[in-house]
Amino acid sequence: MLRFEQVTKSYSGGFVALDRVSFHLEKGEMAFLTGHSGAGKSTLLKLISLIERPTTGKVFINGVDLSRVSRGQVPYVRRDIGMIFQNHKLLMNHSVFDNVALPLVIEGFSGKDMIKRVHAALDKVGLLDKVRCLPHTLSGGEQQRVGIARAVVNRPPLLLADEPTGNLDPDLSKDIMNVFEAFNQVGVSVLIASHDLSLLARMRYRTLTLKNGRMINDGLTSYGADE
Amino acid sequence: MSILFQGRATGATAVKQSLWNRFVMFWVHHLRQAMASLGEIWLTPASSLLTVAVLGVSLTLPVTLHLMVKNLQQVSSSVDQAAQISLFLKADTNETQIAELIALLQANPDVADVQFIDKSQALAEFTAESGFGDALSYIEDNPLPHVMLVSPKNTSSAAASALLATLQQERYVELAKLDIGWLERLDAIVSLVRQVAIAVALLLMVAVLLVVGNTIRLMILNKKDEIEVMKLVGATNSYIQRPFLYTGIWLGFFGGILTFLIEEVLLWWLKQAISSVTQLYESTFTLQQLSLAELGYLLLVAVGLGFIGSLLAVRRNISQIEATGL
Repeated sequence: MLRFEQVTKSYSGGFVALDRVSFHLEKGEMAFLTGHSGAGKSTLLKLISLIERPTTGKVFINGVDLSRVSRGQVPYVRRDIGMIFQNHKLLMNHSVFDNVALPLVIEGFSGKDMIKRVHAALDKVGLLDKVRCLPHTLSGGEQQRVGIARAVVNRPPLLLADEPTGNLDPDLSKDIMNVFEAFNQVGVSVLIASHDLSLLARMRYRTLTLKNGRMINDGLTSYGADE
Repeated sequence: MSILFQGRATGATAVKQSLWNRFVMFWVHHLRQAMASLGEIWLTPASSLLTVAVLGVSLTLPVTLHLMVKNLQQVSSSVDQAAQISLFLKADTNETQIAELIALLQANPDVADVQFIDKSQALAEFTAESGFGDALSYIEDNPLPHVMLVSPKNTSSAAASALLATLQQERYVELAKLDIGWLERLDAIVSLVRQVAIAVALLLMVAVLLVVGNTIRLMILNKKDEIEVMKLVGATNSYIQRPFLYTGIWLGFFGGILTFLIEEVLLWWLKQAISSVTQLYESTFTLQQLSLAELGYLLLVAVGLGFIGSLLAVRRNISQIEATGL
């Protein structure tokens, strides 16, 4: 589903954010991406969502070489990837419904079909009763779940999350993770960047560990080894 | 269509819709966006009003100059006597020759009207009006020639002087005279005003483009975060720029309406002054206002300027905002 081949990303000034990173995330697999801040987690996610392009090496999604995707095609690629952000990236002056409906509106949905999908997505994250609220009236965990609903509303085959539990207490974190597991169980590939090691220990999924831009571990037990 | 996942149904295309349904939805969608942009303007009344005011005032000047040209042209066309050609006939012309000439002139397609003034009639007129009265009675022979007043069909000074040149060649004509001096001057002034109007209009149109462009640019910068989010969830540049284009169109439209209103007030205010001038000249001058077609053109130009101005702004600014995301 998602494959990195010897990907290096260096910025002007000589800073190397990712150094020859290779890994392969299978279709329907769920994995964590971990490492200290500055280890290259965000850069890796940016390369997948085409916010940045690799300096050398190649990124493949479903066998499609992302370096072949032109600037004009980038929006269409992003529609196939559900993205969840640490700071939610919600439109604060629009209702929860409008926020979740945004990807559908962009793709040209309207009317009943759109309403049905938005309600289904909000139902999955347990926020159906907040459909008319404005985001700032919601708690941090609820805002994060609105972000998740927006990411999954057009049923993407690949889900990326950047520190989705960053500001949440352990119980809320667990709720959020359960939501991701539920999507994974219906066949969605999920990659979650997180530095919440206790959470990773509990979840027991494959863990990719980055350190100073290099992939130092790829497997189940990585979280203990690095500390 | 999905680029990454062959066969993944994406977007509304996944839903089977009839062609007619899609056609209707296309317009409904655009109407909805136009209305949304209108609402957006309503939400930021201060800056929008300011922009509309600048547009309205800017467009008023060229429109006023246009109306001035239009009214001056009306003046020049209403005074067709100015283009009357006086033919002074040779002293020995007899009556049959005069009749012959009249027939010839009336047959000329360029001539609208011929009026013959007998020399004795002319003398009587001159005696009555000049005040020389008795003095003239001492003159034995009538020194005045027969005169023929010819009105040309085309009263433009160029056509009138062309006709003058041909009439000069006539056999019984001693001298042909056309008082086109002041007509030429008027024409020159009208064309000068028209040139000025065009130059001013072009300059102000550029100003309008810049004003609309700048307003839209500020709106884009205000919504930078929102645009970023939209880019992150897969909105194309053209999707993001559409509401801004509608905003530009609305600004242009309201600017055009404001121009019309200012113009109407201006005309109402000037009407008094103009009518007191025209009364002094005993003229039947009526002030020409903006016609319905001209109002249409004005709105078209205003909307066009709004559209182009916002297009310039979105082209430059929206693609520069890149999703910084994660």
